[in-house]
Amino acid sequence: MGGLPTNRTVNGFAVDSTNPKTMYVAMRDGLFKSTDAGNSWKNVGNDLKNLAAVAVNSKNSSEVYVVTADGKIFTSADGGVKWKSQR
Amino acid sequence: MKRRFYFWLLMTMVWFINGREVLGQEKSPFLVSAAAQGDHQMNMSDQKNGGGFEHVHALAIDAAGRAIFLGTHVGLFRSDDGGRSWQKVALSAKQSSFDVMAVTPDPKEPKTIFIATHEAGVFKSTDGGMTWKESNTGLGGPDVHGLAIDPNDGKLHALVRDKGDAIYRSTNGGGKWTRVDDGPGGEVKVLTSVNVPTGMGGIFLYAGTAEGLQRNPDCF
Repeated sequence: MGGLPTNRTVNGFAVDSTNPKTMYVAMRDGLFKSTDAGNSWKNVGNDLKNLAAVAVNSKNSSEVYVVTADGKIFTSADGGVKWKSQR
Repeated sequence: MKRRFYFWLLMTMVWFINGREVLGQEKSPFLVSAAAQGDHQMNMSDQKNGGGFEHVHALAIDAAGRAIFLGTHVGLFRSDDGGRSWQKVALSAKQSSFDVMAVTPDPKEPKTIFIATHEAGVFKSTDGGMTWKESNTGLGGPDVHGLAIDPNDGKLHALVRDKGDAIYRSTNGGGKWTRVDDGPGGEVKVLTSVNVPTGMGGIFLYAGTAEGLQRNPDCF
């Protein structure tokens, strides 16, 4: 599972149900995305840190939500490329 | 006579001032009872400074793609406006707050949602999160750190820590649990069934742990 920080806690995990090889990992270090069932990973949403969990909307899989450990929500409408704070 | 007049004037002022305070407090009992009913509205400043949630464990969107659920150290919260505002969800009349470790909507039954708690096992709702029932028959302990649902057949896997430490499986929607495996070691944060075929007739279970992401065919 290359591309994920090693020996770091995976706090959150979510899968695109329409394409289950696409998945997301939420960590303190940020958000990571894989499109090959977890064999390789890329950091997405560079400014996102201290993440507790991630979710993908099963009705619209490009819509991704993350939440920080203290409860701040961020959303992406393009599969994790661009993010905005949900306030 | 004059002194008595000033005495009553003073008393009237005291009553008036106290009366204002009582009027101001009249909102408080309403807020308390609303919170007791689980309708506590998180305002934006609570969310902004994070003070309302303490610590977040889980995030999920219901199968209809509308409601967002947040599992936190101080309970389950629901948003119907994309995460801008949150309402606390009442899980039980016996206890006002649970440490919610996982939120797992059934992908095929939009109104069915499971949650895992740190202290009271698994809860199930079949009405979109309005009412909840404990769903723990056969589960070895109350501390559930991960809860996965198979998107093909609705089979559940629950990861229990401390007492009864193991993975348990339910094939009837949480009605009965059976121990199947020790599960991944160490701290587990999240457990998910992923619809990627193993080549051996099943699919993979993924676990987010303190040592990173692990996966195993169907069960660990």
